[in-house]
Amino acid sequence: MTLVWKLLRRHLSFPQLAGFFLANLLGMLIVLLGIQFYFDVAPAFSRGDSFIRSDYLIVSKRIGVMGAMSGRGSVFSPADIDEIRAQKFCKSVGAFTASQYGVSASMGIEGMGYMSTDLFFESVPDRYVDTDSKEWTFKAGDPGVPIILPRSYLAIYNFGFSQSRSLPKLSEGVVGMLDLNVRLRGRDGREGVMKGKIVGFTDRLNTILVPESFMAWSNGVYAPGADAAPTRLVVEVYNPADDAIARFLQQKGYDTEADKLDAGKTTYFLRVVSGVVMGVGLLISLLSFYILMLSIYLLVQKNSTKLENLLLIGYGPWRVGLPYEVLAVGLNVLVLLLALGLVSLLRGYYLDMLSLLFPQVEGAGMWPACVLGILLCLVVSVLNVCAIQAKVLSIWKHKA
Amino acid sequence: MVFALRDDIESDVWHKEVAFERGHLYLVEADSGTGKSSLCSYLVGYRDDYQGIICFDGTNVRNYKVKDWVEIRKRSLAYLFQELRLFPELTAYENVAVKNNLTGFKKRKQIEEWFGALGIGDKMHEKIGRMSFGQQQRVAMMRALAQPFDFLLADEPVSHLDDENGRVMGEIMMEEARRQGAGVIVTSIGKRMMLDYEKIFRL
Repeated sequence: MTLVWKLLRRHLSFPQLAGFFLANLLGMLIVLLGIQFYFDVAPAFSRGDSFIRSDYLIVSKRIGVMGAMSGRGSVFSPADIDEIRAQKFCKSVGAFTASQYGVSASMGIEGMGYMSTDLFFESVPDRYVDTDSKEWTFKAGDPGVPIILPRSYLAIYNFGFSQSRSLPKLSEGVVGMLDLNVRLRGRDGREGVMKGKIVGFTDRLNTILVPESFMAWSNGVYAPGADAAPTRLVVEVYNPADDAIARFLQQKGYDTEADKLDAGKTTYFLRVVSGVVMGVGLLISLLSFYILMLSIYLLVQKNSTKLENLLLIGYGPWRVGLPYEVLAVGLNVLVLLLALGLVSLLRGYYLDMLSLLFPQVEGAGMWPACVLGILLCLVVSVLNVCAIQAKVLSIWKHKA
Repeated sequence: MVFALRDDIESDVWHKEVAFERGHLYLVEADSGTGKSSLCSYLVGYRDDYQGIICFDGTNVRNYKVKDWVEIRKRSLAYLFQELRLFPELTAYENVAVKNNLTGFKKRKQIEEWFGALGIGDKMHEKIGRMSFGQQQRVAMMRALAQPFDFLLADEPVSHLDDENGRVMGEIMMEEARRQGAGVIVTSIGKRMMLDYEKIFRL
């Protein structure tokens, strides 16, 4: 092998290989950094809101002066719901159901006394809530009830309440481990106490969400016969960007909680930008691959007499191509390792910034860059080996 | 076996059926331009622009795949090229070793003995490019012998050798062939290796 390498390394052009190495490194780095950045940053815009998917709109009636006084203006009638359901953009409609009884929740933190507050519950049909179905269930007689809170509540507590009372700040994880004592008070004076378990936070809904089955059961027990006309609807649409939706809502005087749509757009643009960056990286990688192939073709061409002689004295095409294949694959692997190292280095810089801006977001780990990098390296190496084999075989057939 | 596009040839080989067998020694004598190098190229699978059939052990070599030829060249057919096909950037010893590394057939000591016997023991580590053609011919012969073979095809092995060195080379060659029970086919275009040929073909 060493003698064969001694023969075949003749005419090896180091400037060409260095050119390939740098170009490939740059391309690989851009591709890997692009995907790593996307996976690291995307959760900041879509974090924790898997509960309500982005193609669901929350629709409510605008509250006017007249409606505020009558108290009925913000309620959706069955006719209103049928009208929305008839729209072309609408896939399905679900109604929010509100609790018709009094709710208060209290939470004890060791040595800090007791905090208690009045609340309300709402529910939507379970199929609109996209959470682990094991957690999101309630059966009559269960001692606990799962709850989804608006993320802003936690912010209010952490940055307002706890600050002024010298209470500890709570992360989402810690809150999930706390038990709330939930007290239900019916209009007829019936009372019940349950444990509330916070299973998640949402940015999209300004409400305290409980499972549909719990709402049906509790309304039945604590407010039998009460009318529970919905004030908000969840509308599943085919395409959230459809401008027919905006026109319809405008015309009917309905409001929608649009914040999440913006985040959706941000994620979309992030994806587009990452895609473009990765495309550029791939292009550079492709060109560098071309340089390497040209360089090796040239090398094989210049050494074709030697290669032919080796083939004639009994070396197989595979043995003869091996040094060049080792060279190409070795360079590819080296480029991969270096690129991954650089990505991890550069990632350190933006991760610091990211954790300042979005404290809840944890990095995705290096796996997207690793997986893509190994995949790219593998594909390019296989192509290299095939091309070199083809070239050596063409010498065997005197077609070089 | 026939040259493509020629049918006016008087020859013991072309247009005839010829068989070479292991354990025998053949001479193929040729005039310039009668196709000696072509014949050798056909036999080692370097070219296939012939009509007719070449069989090894009853198998038509036209059906050979690349890996079959690699095996033939490595294990069955040793070939001393007329144009030698040595590697000028390697030393004399390395030129033999590059083959021997592939086959693992000979010990280094044996190769050194050959160098001594052929009178170029002091040139072992000389670059081939600096050696005369006659010296190179001896190196090429050693390289051809650094493998197991059923046949040794020596294309004008002594064209640039004096009689004494030609004799020594012939002895080494025949000793190897006898030890392996192999057949030997020598070609010549004028100066022939002095051996007891069992059959002489005129090309």
